[in-house]
Amino acid sequence: MATHRDAQFPSTPYIEPAPAPIGQPKVEEVGATSAPLKSAAFFIGQQCQEVNEDFMLCKNESRDPAHCLKEGRRVTRCAQDLIKKLGENCGKQWEEHWQCLEKNNQELYMCRKPERSLNQCVFEKLKLVKNIPGSPEGQPQIHEKKNPVWSGVQR
Amino acid sequence: MPVPFEAIIPMGLVVVMFGVTGTGFSLAKRMTNEGKPARHSLDDWERMMMNRDERLTGTPRGQSMNPTAPKEFATNSAWQTEKLA
Repeated sequence: MATHRDAQFPSTPYIEPAPAPIGQPKVEEVGATSAPLKSAAFFIGQQCQEVNEDFMLCKNESRDPAHCLKEGRRVTRCAQDLIKKLGENCGKQWEEHWQCLEKNNQELYMCRKPERSLNQCVFEKLKLVKNIPGSPEGQPQIHEKKNPVWSGVQR
Repeated sequence: MPVPFEAIIPMGLVVVMFGVTGTGFSLAKRMTNEGKPARHSLDDWERMMMNRDERLTGTPRGQSMNPTAPKEFATNSAWQTEKLA
């Protein structure tokens, strides 16, 4: 039988004091925040597809954090690579798109115009095409549709 | 028949009152969100990403395009915990 005890919430949150284990190669974490990442998501998905699939299959074998450290480092490095290239080549269009996303609750359908110019720039400079996996076959993809049902005031 | 201008007065009053409260609410929300509209309909993924954004940039709605995280990111992950016994 459980007796009631008062919950105690300490005023300072818990921060793990142990440092990272030695003997692992050191890789910096990805520094991009949510809006730029969402903007670049399909390009990261295309560029880093093999390393991402490796990581997901590895995680499928075992959810122990120590099991997939190597694949995880590869994923981090691939994403950082692409973010750096995007910043150098298409930085202005990328920034416009994620600023638009930030003003619209990060909903992609509201920001198709900056997205079009970003996709054009990335196709020219980095040879990456945004492709939504699982999109129905015969029709144009939702970001290429001429008159979408859900959209903002200006297309 | 002449235009009933007296009826326009309360209509104008209601429009002005709605406008003032709506603008005031929107401004209040934008002040807490660094000039951006408030986020809504957040699920767990979005909440965790926003938490990560705050850890990366220091402010709740800050964004950054850096490929690598700042040094503080490695150690500023805080867990809300409860003390037992």
